[in-house]
Amino acid sequence: MTNRRARLRVLAGALAASLALVATALAGASGAEAGGGKSKKLVGTFELDAGTCDAAGVATGSYFKMIQPGGTIEAGPVLPNVDSTCSNKDVTLLEPGTDGGLRTGKYQPQPDPAFDATGNGLADRIHTPTGFFGIDFASSTNKTDPQTGEQVPAITIKVKGAKLSGNTSAYSVAYGNQQFNQGAPKPDESLPGLTRKLTGTYAASTREFELEWVSQIVGGPFNDFTGIWHLEGTFKPSKG
Amino acid sequence: MRRAPLVCALALGLGLVAVPFIFGMFDRAPRGAVMLDEFRPFMTDETITTFDGYLAEMDAAEAEAQGDLRAFLAESGVVPDAGFDQEFPLVASFSEEWPAIDEDMSGLLADIGDNVENYEAVDALPPFTLFPWFFVAPGLLIAGVAGFALVRRSTGSAARWALVGLGVGLIAAPAVFQMFTRAPKGGEMIDRFRPIMERDRVQRIQGYFVTIGAAEGTLRAQALPLAQEQGGLSEADLDERFPAIRELNRDWQTIVADDTGFAAMIGAMSDNVDNYEAVDALPPFSLFPWFFVIPGVLLAGVGLISRRPTPALATVPATPARTLEPSIPQRSTR
Repeated sequence: MTNRRARLRVLAGALAASLALVATALAGASGAEAGGGKSKKLVGTFELDAGTCDAAGVATGSYFKMIQPGGTIEAGPVLPNVDSTCSNKDVTLLEPGTDGGLRTGKYQPQPDPAFDATGNGLADRIHTPTGFFGIDFASSTNKTDPQTGEQVPAITIKVKGAKLSGNTSAYSVAYGNQQFNQGAPKPDESLPGLTRKLTGTYAASTREFELEWVSQIVGGPFNDFTGIWHLEGTFKPSKG
Repeated sequence: MRRAPLVCALALGLGLVAVPFIFGMFDRAPRGAVMLDEFRPFMTDETITTFDGYLAEMDAAEAEAQGDLRAFLAESGVVPDAGFDQEFPLVASFSEEWPAIDEDMSGLLADIGDNVENYEAVDALPPFTLFPWFFVAPGLLIAGVAGFALVRRSTGSAARWALVGLGVGLIAAPAVFQMFTRAPKGGEMIDRFRPIMERDRVQRIQGYFVTIGAAEGTLRAQALPLAQEQGGLSEADLDERFPAIRELNRDWQTIVADDTGFAAMIGAMSDNVDNYEAVDALPPFSLFPWFFVIPGVLLAGVGLISRRPTPALATVPATPARTLEPSIPQRSTR
């Protein structure tokens, strides 16, 4: 009689525990759905729309801005680039490079040498080298970050619902015989100053994207200046 | 050997070992080494002269922009004199700020130029990264010899002379490395760089670079093309009429991108603010030779007085003289 009661107690306990597990799992699943489902890596090329600028100086497409030390992302002050082709010199327009744009899952390393004789950056796979204060800057992504010498992962961008997130720590800019990491987070995974990770939107039906990240320069003549990278275009998944 | 001097020698040795830890030298000295390395390209009279030349170019270009160029654009009906600042606001900002920039940058270059000799003196010292070991290595040797003599209750003179030798070595080291002349020069350099190597000052200089660059770009990409297209000037005319602006335009890439250019120097300054602070937190450079001489003198002195005195004959207690008695054979009573 006593044994039977004990067995019943064990069975009841096991049933209660199972129910609790199922309830927890269901609650977790509904939470994930509320957040837009599971995030998915977008592997391929984020092909860039060239930056353009209307008469009022409002830019669309892909462009770059640089915030001066002590400024804010929202209010600047922005470093005017007199070499910009936009009437609004705060905006430096970007044109797609030989790869069409920014690749995820693979590096787009800079050439060797990375500079010409006068210090212009030569990397041209992501966007074409672009004039800035009389010298071209060039972007690349490298397994070993040229500025810090640290190993960095290839660019990753994920989508969850219609929202993009990602890691651009491998993004590097060559300018005036100097290298500047322009990723977020930084190679040491920090987010100094105004640095903000990649955010953006993605339309699965058209594969159109609009993304932005912010990276404060650490070290060198432009220490504490902050680059805002705004890219627009269409995502082209890699084959296979 | 006497124990008290040996204990003093042991304490001296351990004290020397402790010096780098007390002053954080293992962290600070390598930072000094990095700073010296990164400043090396700029700490030459030739580089300072080149930079002075760039300032003169900028000064001439500013005067020409507000003089000949402004007048030409007005006379040609391209940009009225009253509208020049509005048409080229970045040139106007440059002109407004230039006197202060020129004064500050000239002062900076003068300070750097005045310290080239001091820098060379410091750079000729043994590598900064070795500094902590200059204390630790002899400290361990001294402590080792003294400790050994104490433990073994050594009575020999080898340990004593080893301590004297180490003391003399410590006294001689600053002279060998010419620390008495070089270290104070290093101290002077650190003092003179104090107002330069501040984050605010470096950021202000970064700001100058932006102001100058924006004006250079405006003159190159906007003002001169306007003068050329609407004023009917050829490339040769531009060279002839506006030689100072054209020279600045030609040299701008070098100023920005050269390994020993202005931008590189600003980068070196910015990257070394923290390193400078670390070096500045070390004890005054002029004291460094005495960190060796004083313990050296003490150690040599300790070594010399540590000899256990030899017992003197006069102090040997006298034993009563025994009277020699003739040995008389004892006759057996048996």
